Amino acid sequence: MVKILRSLVRHRRLVRSFVVRDLKARYVGSTMGFFWSVIFPIVNLFVFMFVFQFLLRARFGDQMGPKEVAFYMLAGILIWAAFAETLTRATNCLVENANLIQKVVFPSEILPLNLGLSSLVNMLIGLPIVVAGTWVVMENPLGVQFLAIPVLLAVQLLFTVGLGYLLATLNALWRDTYHLVGVGVQVWMFATPIFYPPFLVEQAKIAKSDNPDDGFYTFGWLLDINPMHWLVESWRRVLLFGQWPEPAMLLRFTLVAVLAFAAGSLFFQRQKRVFPDLL
Amino acid sequence: MGPTSEQSGSAIIAKDLAKRYRIYDKPIDRLYDVVLPFKKRFRDFWAVKNVYLDIAKGSTIGIIGVNGAGKSTLLKLLSGISEPTRGEVHVEGRVTSLIELGAGFHPEFSGRENIHLACSILGLSEAEIAEKMEPIIAFSELGDFVDRPVKTYSSGMYVRLGFSVATCVDPDILLIDEALSVGDEHFKGKCLRRLNEFSEAGGTTIFVSHDLGSVRSMCSHVVLMDDGEVVEQGAPDAVADEYLKRVRARADDPMQMRSRAENEYPAWGSGELFLEDVQVLGEEGQPGRMFQTGEDVTIRLCYRAVADTEDPVFGVGIYRSDGTYVNGSNHLWRDQPIEFGAIRAGETGEVDMCLGRLPLLAGQYYLSTFVYDHSKPAPTAIDHREHVQTFEVVDARVQQHGLLTLPSTWRVRRTAGADAETTEWTSER
Repeated sequence: MVKILRSLVRHRRLVRSFVVRDLKARYVGSTMGFFWSVIFPIVNLFVFMFVFQFLLRARFGDQMGPKEVAFYMLAGILIWAAFAETLTRATNCLVENANLIQKVVFPSEILPLNLGLSSLVNMLIGLPIVVAGTWVVMENPLGVQFLAIPVLLAVQLLFTVGLGYLLATLNALWRDTYHLVGVGVQVWMFATPIFYPPFLVEQAKIAKSDNPDDGFYTFGWLLDINPMHWLVESWRRVLLFGQWPEPAMLLRFTLVAVLAFAAGSLFFQRQKRVFPDLL
Repeated sequence: MGPTSEQSGSAIIAKDLAKRYRIYDKPIDRLYDVVLPFKKRFRDFWAVKNVYLDIAKGSTIGIIGVNGAGKSTLLKLLSGISEPTRGEVHVEGRVTSLIELGAGFHPEFSGRENIHLACSILGLSEAEIAEKMEPIIAFSELGDFVDRPVKTYSSGMYVRLGFSVATCVDPDILLIDEALSVGDEHFKGKCLRRLNEFSEAGGTTIFVSHDLGSVRSMCSHVVLMDDGEVVEQGAPDAVADEYLKRVRARADDPMQMRSRAENEYPAWGSGELFLEDVQVLGEEGQPGRMFQTGEDVTIRLCYRAVADTEDPVFGVGIYRSDGTYVNGSNHLWRDQPIEFGAIRAGETGEVDMCLGRLPLLAGQYYLSTFVYDHSKPAPTAIDHREHVQTFEVVDARVQQHGLLTLPSTWRVRRTAGADAETTEWTSER
């Protein structure tokens, strides 16, 4: 892990070149350019608003009207999109850059980081909308709590890139990983309270049988094992409600992020020497 | 040169270098192997083994060998792209490899942006890139195209840009893998000049090729690889002879000739008569796949008639591998034509096209055969086959370049001053 971090620092200029290239590559040749970074989440927002608010009539509690719900969802979508995008792209990054890895002496460990940074920058383009929105419609807009944003960005990057290392390595060894990740990300998204408030999960229950005395299956544990829930929740507290993140939650996420990065980078480092032969 | 030279004067030292690839039958076995490394699920394949090299600074080394001999793997080990399974490599200085020109170019970006990124991959700082940018663009001769996306480039332009980047960044060691097929003759010449300048300035070049001609003209020392091992090294001529011996032994192996995939190229015709075999015969009348310039060569067409036919005419087209039509002829359009007349079903025979002393220079060539019915005003195809046979010409004796040898002599006349006598020299062929 230290080895990888050191290598990342050593190649920071190359990382920057790649991030810039990736950001440019997103919209090179398109007329609207970076505007798409904003349009995409907003369209997504309308779709999910329609489905969850109007068709399914999900309850968001008493204190949130439709406008609040919109920004509540939008914040979740932006964060999730950055995470999911990095994850899927990182999984395939070694295969996609096989040309570089096989033909040039190339530090492949920078690839997941590039993707993570690029997605975060993309996310930062969308975030001001959320912040501006909360100033207009919410009661407790962002104040001094914006100081928490760099911390959240850092732990999110750590977690995402750590998983990215793990999945990229797995995918180099076994190509089905990529498809598996595609499905997994989808499932994970709906398991995370993005389009619905967390208390719905806590309340949800399914009877074990027709006899009510048998008890119920409950789903609150889903939130207790889902690091992305902790992250999204922390972001929302800061962006929407002008509160500091809940320390316990943020701490837990940080711990998981460090673990993910340690495990992912270790696995990556140990398999790295075979990449040129595998791809 | 050689294993005895001083360590300080070496650019690259390889000790007991070996590379093993693991061949897995199923992709998932690779994953199991990482998770549960207790059972053997792979077969070993040693692409390179027992390689000792000591390459002096400033020398130009050629690595030759047939396809699959491990040349490219060795180059990857020397460049540090892939890690050796056993042994070690010491490298002094910055290595640039021309294993693939333009690796990592992004098609949507302009040439200039791609130069920038390629240079940062090679480890140049921002200031160095700014300094190198103009020379690179100038050398690549891209002109205004440098600001257009790389996807609009012709393949020649792409390779030119790649070559310019790789050689303009002041490497100490240059590794070249057959990369000199860089577009037109003009640019090729420029590349060779650039490589010569590079080695005159003290750079070390390692050059992988199976083009004997360029290896002989450029290298001071040649390493011959076969089956992953260095089997011979030394002066270019001696090693080249050994290489030719091995290649001919392999190429003339009849098993190898039969195993060529059949009919991957177009063939058509009415089919009353067909060619059972097309052979290229060498000096001793043996069918082969590899010939030397100047060798007595005959192309033999063996036919079998399955139905009656009138006036078939056999023709042969000779092409160079790049599609250049070298020659086409048949036995009818001659001063003294041979006419077949009627052929009955069941007849077999052979038609020879005797080339005499083969004038073709080194390269890959292929043959197409044409059997046409000339009894009608417009000849129609009976059995037309494209690309039926390939052969290679190597040229160890003739020091000429291009497509064909020409029976030329050279004459020089010199007069030292106004009153002096004129002296004349004439060179033999």
